Amino acid sequence: MTETIELALKTLEAQLNQPLETALEACARCGLCAEACHYYRAEPKVEHIPAYRSEQLRNVYRYEHDFLSRVFPAWTGAKKLDEVTLANLSEMAYSQCTLCRRCTVNCPLGVDTPLMMRAIRAMATATGNAPEILVMLADAAIEKGKDPSFYKDMFLEQIREMEEQLRDITGDPNASIPVEKQGTKILYVPLAGAHTILPPAVVFNAAKEDWTLSIFEAANYGVFLADVNRAKAVAKRIVDEANRLGVKEIVIAECGHAYASYRWDVPNWFAGQFDFKVRSLIEVLAEYIRDGKIKVDPTAIPEGVTYHDSCNLARNGGLIEEPRYVLNKITTDFREMTPNKAEAICCGGGGGLVALAEYTERRLAAGKPKADQIKKTGARVVVAACENCRLQIGDLNEHYNLNVRITALTDLVVRAMRLPKPLPGTEAEHLFEGEGALVEK
Amino acid sequence: MTDKPALSLDFKGLLCPMPVVKIAMAMKQVKVGQTVEAVATDPGVMADIPAWARTSGNELVELEKREKDIRFVVKRAK
Repeated sequence: MTETIELALKTLEAQLNQPLETALEACARCGLCAEACHYYRAEPKVEHIPAYRSEQLRNVYRYEHDFLSRVFPAWTGAKKLDEVTLANLSEMAYSQCTLCRRCTVNCPLGVDTPLMMRAIRAMATATGNAPEILVMLADAAIEKGKDPSFYKDMFLEQIREMEEQLRDITGDPNASIPVEKQGTKILYVPLAGAHTILPPAVVFNAAKEDWTLSIFEAANYGVFLADVNRAKAVAKRIVDEANRLGVKEIVIAECGHAYASYRWDVPNWFAGQFDFKVRSLIEVLAEYIRDGKIKVDPTAIPEGVTYHDSCNLARNGGLIEEPRYVLNKITTDFREMTPNKAEAICCGGGGGLVALAEYTERRLAAGKPKADQIKKTGARVVVAACENCRLQIGDLNEHYNLNVRITALTDLVVRAMRLPKPLPGTEAEHLFEGEGALVEK
Repeated sequence: MTDKPALSLDFKGLLCPMPVVKIAMAMKQVKVGQTVEAVATDPGVMADIPAWARTSGNELVELEKREKDIRFVVKRAK
């Protein structure tokens, strides 16, 4: 056995807890998961059936854990792990599963195929078989946490420029973007880039919220690598910042995996150091509108609008009614996709896929069911509250000629706030001209 | 000012993490010692590109914020 294979098996063993062992033992081979998977819906072949994918890991697990399988592997399909099998498993786990968990909720036994794909991803990461770019992005984020001084001055300079823009578009000379302010109620964690800072800043200022901006970004590529050490190191930056500032709540930008991670994983990873409420920005938007903290024009968006449920926000996060509440307050023609909510079909961009150029063709093919759903609604505007989903739907828009505009929920809310000037650099700016008329592409 | 870059790329309009993804891919297309120049509009690159350069072992030669965009030059170091 080579060192690589030894490490891969050791990594698998380290992950064997009750949920994973149950998933590895419980499949009834009914095949109901096939139609649940967007890969299979797009290309109905056996490799795209979640149960088939899981079976590839089960074969390795059986060889290691079942006496009969070890002695007579051909009887049970057991397979001794070798370098080629490991490479094939790794490619499958990173390119043919977005960890959306639609198969899990449609499985009569609740078999968690994504949990098995995560186990393979962890084996791949430990042995250098993970996609290099995901490792690079995770390591760059950790580096930013080690020594923020190398970019902090530039960051603060940009925030001051954004603050000028904020005052200009809101007409409020006192509007501000506080950074590292002590003792605020909310620590808002954006993604990299002004598009997830300026629109929320408009909303927080209008609601007179007690908030401060994080100097870090919410995205966590360690999660996609199923590498708990890297994922914890990325998250630690924000946990430390929240503790240092003494905030009460962490609000995560419109980002599916970041929300799921901070809502469900991080409190466990940092038990004892994590005494914060975690909310997604979309929950905050719903609260502000419900409580009258921000005023929105219910007729602001007259065009047909549909909403894409991010798997991490809806199916895995339970944020189903909040975005719909917001959209029903600012649109006059909201159209649901079918199926939707907890049964929503994945767009195909999750699990880190949008960052992996080598799998672009596969990703676009797997996105066809989502493209068909969007087309069927006839909507001209697609709202997605997750950056990866927006990037993927943007690519689907071009690939399948959908002729839609894709926007974040916050951008649309800001549009409905009827500010003196439009938000610069967002889709919402291009979306409308004058009083809500859609501009043709 | 650096030598003429081996590649000049336009990342305008690309949002995080695409500028990092694209520059990492571009570095594989040039030889050690050669440089890649890129122009982006996402302010996130001001933090992400220096961090990526540090961890990937490439050298960030220039990073300048201009009126409407951000220009950076990276040298392939290994």
